[in-house]
Amino acid sequence: MNPALEVTGLTASIGDLEILRGVDLAVPFGEVHAIMGPNGSGKSTLSHVLMGKSDYEASGSAKIDGVEIMGLPVDERARAGLFEAFQYPTEIPGVSLDELTSEMALSNPDDDGYAARVDAASDRLSMDRFRGRAVNVGLSGGEKKRSEMYLLGVANPKVAILDEIDSGLDIDAVREVAAMVESLRSPGLGVVIITHYSRILRYLDVDRVHVMVGGRIVKSGGPEVAEELEGAGYTEYVVRST
Amino acid sequence: MTTADTIGSSDAAWMAERRSAASTALATLSMPSPREEIWRYLDLDFDPGLAAAATEPGDTAPPDAVMSGWEGSFISVVDGFVVSEGVGTASASESEVALPDDGDLFSTASRAFAPGAALIGKGLLDTPVFVDVQSTGTATSFPGVHVDVPAGSDATVLVRYRSTTGEPATVVPTVTATVGDNARLTLTVIQDWNYRTRAMGRGVVSLGRDAGLTLTEVGLGGLVGRLHLDVDFVGRGSHAKVYGAYFGEEDQTLDYRYFMNHIGTDTRCDMFLKGAVEDDALSVFTGLIRIEESGQKTESFQTNRNLILSPGASAQSVPNLEILANDVKCGHGSSVGPLDEDQRYYLMSRGLTPERADRLQVHGFFEEVIDVIPDDSVADWVRTRINDKYVTAQQEGRV
Repeated sequence: MNPALEVTGLTASIGDLEILRGVDLAVPFGEVHAIMGPNGSGKSTLSHVLMGKSDYEASGSAKIDGVEIMGLPVDERARAGLFEAFQYPTEIPGVSLDELTSEMALSNPDDDGYAARVDAASDRLSMDRFRGRAVNVGLSGGEKKRSEMYLLGVANPKVAILDEIDSGLDIDAVREVAAMVESLRSPGLGVVIITHYSRILRYLDVDRVHVMVGGRIVKSGGPEVAEELEGAGYTEYVVRST
Repeated sequence: MTTADTIGSSDAAWMAERRSAASTALATLSMPSPREEIWRYLDLDFDPGLAAAATEPGDTAPPDAVMSGWEGSFISVVDGFVVSEGVGTASASESEVALPDDGDLFSTASRAFAPGAALIGKGLLDTPVFVDVQSTGTATSFPGVHVDVPAGSDATVLVRYRSTTGEPATVVPTVTATVGDNARLTLTVIQDWNYRTRAMGRGVVSLGRDAGLTLTEVGLGGLVGRLHLDVDFVGRGSHAKVYGAYFGEEDQTLDYRYFMNHIGTDTRCDMFLKGAVEDDALSVFTGLIRIEESGQKTESFQTNRNLILSPGASAQSVPNLEILANDVKCGHGSSVGPLDEDQRYYLMSRGLTPERADRLQVHGFFEEVIDVIPDDSVADWVRTRINDKYVTAQQEGRV
């Protein structure tokens, strides 16, 4: 069986600035992985490069359920099963969440499950009062995360990358987000949480923790890696990699 | 050549006199020059056809889609003539408002040739009024609509301009309103001319004490679709919201010259225009907030946002302030640019094809204005028209 996500030798740069310097990563279906690292280690770049943001010069391989996505336009990567929940989701003035989800369905005519997933995700996340409102406009930090989790539920991806999903949230909101992530766990989905802090991992069971420093994954292990980081920080890795 | 006194049914002495004076003045006038600020950016190298002014209305076209959901009354003005029964034309004093004398060729020609503005006042304003202004052929016409909202009352008027044939024509439309003390006017103007018609529109609204205005203009059609608008905040506490949505294509010029004149104290205005141009179209917005010395405590804001959807299209956006009072709040914002890359990326990351992503973004861009159109069925019609224009441009590879 293919892993949900398999990244091999992924590099990315902007101009002369190398940001990812050969990332290897495999996330099996049904698992939740965390990528942790200090600011500037390339964590968020990894998620943008996988999604296909045009700012970067990228090479290497990334497969969703065995299908290569590097070189594909952004929308085709999404339809191949990749979903990125953004740290700062873009505001779309004048476009309601309902309009967005119906366009998502129209863009993917082979999948007739959208209407049912809209209902289910809306119930699960209590989205009723947000669905008529403009996408991400005037939402609090926590509401934006919730809206992103809702779209994740509607999109029904094979791989979900949650970029800095816990940043800027108070502790109650972090707990709430952790519960939402926990509820995502399913045999058809691989989840990658990108985070700077280990605090969300206190409320969430992860299968693997990867430490990213200087554009590479320098250590992978079980949840105990996060605990070590909580005590010692990233200093050891930063010193070693520079 | 048509002479002034052969036009129109109203042969009141005052009208004949004004026509005659205007005709004399007209003989000395030539086309305005784009060197004058108020005409800047315009291509004025054309024959306005004043020798071919309409002398009678052409065939009235039947109601069309935008009228089908309208709950209210209808008035038809065809080639400048009021053809609906029971609708009078503006009196001498009303006419001084209804036909502003700007001293230029078009305004003077209006005063010489206009058969008289349709008078929409007490009695007609009990229900929303749809004024269907039609241009039926090549004759130059001077349709006028004058709304007189009595003190303390509420009125809803929609003026929709259309060409009923594909013929080229020059039209000099006026839409004017006097809003009495504590009265409220919701006025929507839709320019939907064919792409060979040049419409040199003029608008004036005067607001009494605590009077309120919501004015929305939708610019769709016309080789030239112009509106030179003055809103005079005369009465203390008068207030207005002025919205605009325009979409230009082919070699259209959509041209807005908006002057907000704050004369009374404690007056408020929010102006918000959004437009998009594709193909070789040009849009022009020049807005002036002018606050007189008497206009203390005024708050007035103007915003104009433009999307450039094709390399050959362009938009001029020039907001201005002229403030003579010292205790006011004013602001202006203006932008001209392409579709937003971040929005496109976000929408595509949700699985939308680039075409759908851009369509949704254009839809959202206009929604802030279309959403305020008071009649839902008209708002839907506008929404669909703009979407259809954009989709066609996508299909034909212009955007």
